Amino acid sequence: MSLLFEKTKEVLRTLLPVVIIVLLLCFTIVDVEADVLARFIVSSVMLLIGLAIFLWGVDLSMNPIGEYMSQEIATSKTPVKIAILSFLLGFLVTVAEPDLLILGTQIQSASGGSLGATVIVYMVSVGVGVMIMFGVFRLLGDKPSYSAFMAITYGIILILSFLVSEEFLAISFDASGATTGALTTPFVLAISLGLSKVKGGKNEEENSFGLVGIMSAGPILSVMLMSIISGQKNIQGQAAEYIIAEGVFGPIIRKIPEIFVESLIALLPIIVLFFIYNYVKFKIPKDDIIRIINGLVMTLIGLTIFLTGVYSGFMDMGMIIGIELGKMNPWILVGIGFILGLIVVLVEPAVHVLGEQIEEVTSGYIPISLIRGTLSIGVGIAIALSMVRIAVPEVKLWYFLLPGFLIAVLLSFRSDPVFVGIAYDAGGVASGPMTATFVLAFAQGAATIIDTADVMVDGFGVIAMVATAPVFSLMILGTIFRHKKIEYPVVAKQAVVSSHLVDEISLDHVCIMVIVNRGLAERVVFLARHSGAKGATIMRGRGTTADRQVLPIINIELQPEKEIVWFITPTDVYETIAQSLMDDTLLNQDGEIKIFISPTEAMVRTFTTINPNNYEQPGNQ
Amino acid sequence: MAIDSLFFTIVNRGKANSVLHKAQECGAEGGTILLGEGTVQSKLLNKIGLTEIHKEIVIIPVSDQLSDKLHDELSKAFLFHKSNKGIAFTIPFRRWKPGLPGQNETADSSTRENASYFCIVTIVDKGRSRDCIKSARAAGARGGTLIHGRGAGIPTDFYYPLVIEPQKDIILIITAKDKVYPIREKIYTDLELGKAGNGILFTFPVTRASGLFEQRTEDSKGGAS
Repeated sequence: MSLLFEKTKEVLRTLLPVVIIVLLLCFTIVDVEADVLARFIVSSVMLLIGLAIFLWGVDLSMNPIGEYMSQEIATSKTPVKIAILSFLLGFLVTVAEPDLLILGTQIQSASGGSLGATVIVYMVSVGVGVMIMFGVFRLLGDKPSYSAFMAITYGIILILSFLVSEEFLAISFDASGATTGALTTPFVLAISLGLSKVKGGKNEEENSFGLVGIMSAGPILSVMLMSIISGQKNIQGQAAEYIIAEGVFGPIIRKIPEIFVESLIALLPIIVLFFIYNYVKFKIPKDDIIRIINGLVMTLIGLTIFLTGVYSGFMDMGMIIGIELGKMNPWILVGIGFILGLIVVLVEPAVHVLGEQIEEVTSGYIPISLIRGTLSIGVGIAIALSMVRIAVPEVKLWYFLLPGFLIAVLLSFRSDPVFVGIAYDAGGVASGPMTATFVLAFAQGAATIIDTADVMVDGFGVIAMVATAPVFSLMILGTIFRHKKIEYPVVAKQAVVSSHLVDEISLDHVCIMVIVNRGLAERVVFLARHSGAKGATIMRGRGTTADRQVLPIINIELQPEKEIVWFITPTDVYETIAQSLMDDTLLNQDGEIKIFISPTEAMVRTFTTINPNNYEQPGNQ
Repeated sequence: MAIDSLFFTIVNRGKANSVLHKAQECGAEGGTILLGEGTVQSKLLNKIGLTEIHKEIVIIPVSDQLSDKLHDELSKAFLFHKSNKGIAFTIPFRRWKPGLPGQNETADSSTRENASYFCIVTIVDKGRSRDCIKSARAAGARGGTLIHGRGAGIPTDFYYPLVIEPQKDIILIITAKDKVYPIREKIYTDLELGKAGNGILFTFPVTRASGLFEQRTEDSKGGAS
């Protein structure tokens, strides 16, 4: 199955429920004009094609770019370079984000001009840059732990939140949603993955996630600080009157150039930075550059088609459904809100990207369907609660936000470490373009009809809710999922110097294949090196044994993660190596080690540059 | 059960679990699943970057009898005889048990002579896998399967005391006996594996294979030893 086909199928599977629910509503309780309905259907097709192309492009371009850039950061020799480069990346991807400019303009008009749109955009971008910088330092130094880092960050947010008005609380969380757009999130995810790959070590898996979570705290902090410093507390004014477009193809075609330019501008800073670096430093082979350029073109085309569909078809539809349902019983609004939240989040581009990354990093150990399900339920509840807030004005936003984050922070210390990063990331991942248009329009539509609701405040709150709820729900999942972590006891260094430092060309070798539980490959390599092995190649996998562990209720099989280590050794030392590995009690008991050997014809020229005495003991780090 | 072979299956991603379940029904103890990528042979698709197919590799320790049974049962259940459905092959791999030194040594050299298929494994730095497959194709291979892995760490002098673990690509190529030598030589010279640090290449004899393209044309089963 080719990758594009696979992606199209996956997008179709997530998009179809949304289309079906909306059409069901249109044919039963909601009265919709024929042209809006037709436009919605055309837009759905555009969404499908656009998203599939976009995801494919991201795979080809954003992931390698992120990898090269993160490698450049990690291999810096001075902290100043790490600081500058990581700040620059965070700043550049944010400053060009079209959603942020829209938000800035909204705040400018709402605050009566005392906070300029450009100032807001730059302040928020600086906020993101600084947070990414801190995040990169944390990741590379592995200190403090991710949970502690996020606890401190949200502690500061909590203190600041008492000093700002409810409007600004909502706006600051919304700013966070606006910065984690369709392009920024995949790129920052790729940076995070790249950094942890270069860094390696036993926390590699945990470190592959979490940078998006750290990044989304940046805008919250900047907007809150701006509000406190400028003394701006209240928001006056009204949201602009929303006009539903007429015609089927007209609005779509009119929208394309505008969105194309916006997407191009958003993409440009990353491209320019990357190509400057490539010209000066990376000098990537031509074939790979062509692939990346192809990928960038795909990303741009896909994003344009996707966003055009979202803006021209889905936004109007959301508005109309909101208005119509708002006229009815508020509980219908809450119910439909829940269902829409449940299914819409799965169409978010970043959710697909995150899912793919989870699969790659954990070699399929964490079932993606489980993550998606939890994410859906979280967002469903978030939208339902937002609807409650619109219907009942006494319910305030912070009733949900503050306890939600407080519990999430507390749980993060109990939760499986891999899930902590994924959970914080999920907040930024869930609040993408679909939420910012379709769901937001739905909420605003409902708010315009219900007199007690304020379009401005309630509208802003929705994105904040969507960004909070998945953090909470995934953290709970992580607490349930927590599994036994293997600790390294320190073993005394053995000084067996390899006797095979000579250059030899011989066909007869032995391949030793070792399968152990995850986290122990380093120890295998360490022990084998002391018995005369030289190089080793480590692969990731998952395994099953005769007694399978199956999670109750959802019937998902848990397969323990394994590491596979290959050694190619001269025929005379393989027994020593295998024996020393088998003798190790830790590998035997916790590692469930299995060793297979086979003679092999190897065309290998074995040089060794590493003196085993200098090789650092894993586990001392 | 004496484990004297490893049974490898390469299938499209998502199918590994059902392959393993089926194998366990046939009597296998368990297995290990790796994520990999396949290759596409199309100039057009190559041009636009559509060259990856997600695959899963399942490795199951087996005895000789079980290996035959798995070949038969899995080929039937997962339609390996049709193209792009998957392949399976067995490589003699002895399960290491302490105190049984080198007893299979002589038996193995005869398997090597009898085998009609070979598995060529090349380990190179990440990103050079495409060059490797290109060379292999030039020498007559049909394609390969790619697994991402990492080399063992080397301490470095960057600001953070990172143990850089160089990322590696592992390429598995299954090919008929007469093509092993040219493919091996071609990869070795093209990728300059003779220089230290450029990568390594090694081969295993395959005792039995199912679902290979060459077989479909000749309709002969892999060389049973």
